[in-house]
Amino acid sequence: MEKIVIQGRGVIPGVVEGEALVCPHSITGWGGIDPKTGVIKDYDNPNKGKSIKDTILIMPGSKGSNGWSCYFGAARAAGAAPKGWIFTGIDTSVGVASAVMGIPTIVEFPEGQDPCKLIKNGDYVRMDGSTGIVEILVGEE
Amino acid sequence: MIRLTEEEQRMLDGEEGRLKQVAIENIIRYGEVLGAEELCKVTKATVFCGNHNYLEVNDSPDFHEVFTKLNMGRDEVIPFDRTCPDCYIQSCVAACDLHEYKAFNQEKEFFDRDHYFIEEARKAGVTVVGSCSPYLTGWIPVRGEHYVTTESGMTILGNSLWGACCNSDGIEAAFWSAICGRTPKWGYHVQEERHATHLFHVEASLDSVIEWELLGKVMGTKLPGVVTTPVIVGDFKNVDFVKLKSFFTALAITSNCRMCHIVGITPEAPTLEAAFAGHEIQGEFVVTEEDIQAAYEPLCDRPEGPVNLVSLGCPHYDIHQIKQIADYLEGKKVADGVNLMIWTVYPIKAMADLNGYTRIIEEAGGHIYTSTCPATIGDVFLKDYPNQVYDSLKQSGAVRSSSLEQNIYYTDVCGCLEAALSGEWKEDLRWKK
Repeated sequence: MEKIVIQGRGVIPGVVEGEALVCPHSITGWGGIDPKTGVIKDYDNPNKGKSIKDTILIMPGSKGSNGWSCYFGAARAAGAAPKGWIFTGIDTSVGVASAVMGIPTIVEFPEGQDPCKLIKNGDYVRMDGSTGIVEILVGEE
Repeated sequence: MIRLTEEEQRMLDGEEGRLKQVAIENIIRYGEVLGAEELCKVTKATVFCGNHNYLEVNDSPDFHEVFTKLNMGRDEVIPFDRTCPDCYIQSCVAACDLHEYKAFNQEKEFFDRDHYFIEEARKAGVTVVGSCSPYLTGWIPVRGEHYVTTESGMTILGNSLWGACCNSDGIEAAFWSAICGRTPKWGYHVQEERHATHLFHVEASLDSVIEWELLGKVMGTKLPGVVTTPVIVGDFKNVDFVKLKSFFTALAITSNCRMCHIVGITPEAPTLEAAFAGHEIQGEFVVTEEDIQAAYEPLCDRPEGPVNLVSLGCPHYDIHQIKQIADYLEGKKVADGVNLMIWTVYPIKAMADLNGYTRIIEEAGGHIYTSTCPATIGDVFLKDYPNQVYDSLKQSGAVRSSSLEQNIYYTDVCGCLEAALSGEWKEDLRWKK
């Protein structure tokens, strides 16, 4: 088993670990998930049908509507939030959603360390929202 | 670390109550995620009031519990009973009309809950408007003014056309800003961050509203998925506000773009050089007539047959647009079995009444509705209409991505009205240059 370590900017503290769910084209915020279950509804999302609940959710950033954050916030209220989430970059909708969720959050990775490319669905990931360090145990499904 | 003024520190210390304290705590946390160093004052806000479907995860009868948990992100109950007095705050579209619910197949219980939620927001200082187009009631931020909105189309319009300053904040942050009067000074709130990043040469001639809308989709498809600020150059003629509001809305919903310069038209792009302000061009594209037509084709279904719903007014129509509908419909009759809906905001509806446009439209068999739209109401209304016609890329796209399998037709206003009058969708109603 190979271990890869990458580091972004840790913005909301907390140490969590779990299975990665990688959405390389993000998730449509407004209506892209069922907030009661966390199941992805996006019609063209490769992870359609999978749930974000209790995962380490990995996305490049937000996508589409100004309402991007509220379905994730609703998932938090319903107990269907991820354990933590990781974004390749940073944008304002990601900022709002992270402030609402309050789960460990890491953003803005350097070139060559894009978590959307280095992490695959099912990889076991440990993240530290203070230091920004992400440990990836590749292939442990 | 965000530097706070004395006033902001007092809010954070709770001296102005728990609601403002949590609002500014959230704004600071939001700013820290972005990497902002200070906050700026917000003087205009639109907020998303009403019993919207994302709130359904909490069925508490207490609005304030639902509000705190969903919009403030806290597991306590903090009464939403005040807003920032220095901020001009309007409500966006609601989940219901304030007067009608049977017309949309909604339950009385849902209508009452929506009304209750809106009334509590009104008591807290939000003016009830119920529109995606807040400028129709005088909510117009000027150049350099900092504002927040839940409408992506309003974000890009205000940044681009008026030179006002706004980010794509979202529903919760608009409430936080409306309560504490602050937002992180980051992104488009910083003058140096408003320069163009990508250049579009528009070779296609843009004569009508639908062509400007389709330009928005073409650009949204070509731009990368990250936040970008395109600038467009071309031989633009007869540009007006309706074309631009439709263009900006289509661009916003098909991309992560929240500001777009138009050389010679928008205030921060008197020239191409001024738009880039010395920064490099990160990408360059050409838009042709073929791009515009190709962008249209997948947006309009093919089967010919009966039409059940024709909906106009996304973004909400102004009074001149309603006059044009009345002029077209005068002395004509909408076909049996067709629901012709025209969407606007209450004061514009009152003006349509005053000018006799409402009477003409109703005599023809159409109706003017306010405060919401089919996509916002959702499947409870749309499920009964197997064949729907829209004059808006945003509206037609939003209903297409719902879980229902229906024919969705998108064309220009004349095509929509002809479909309503004949009750039939025919191939020649498809838009062509």
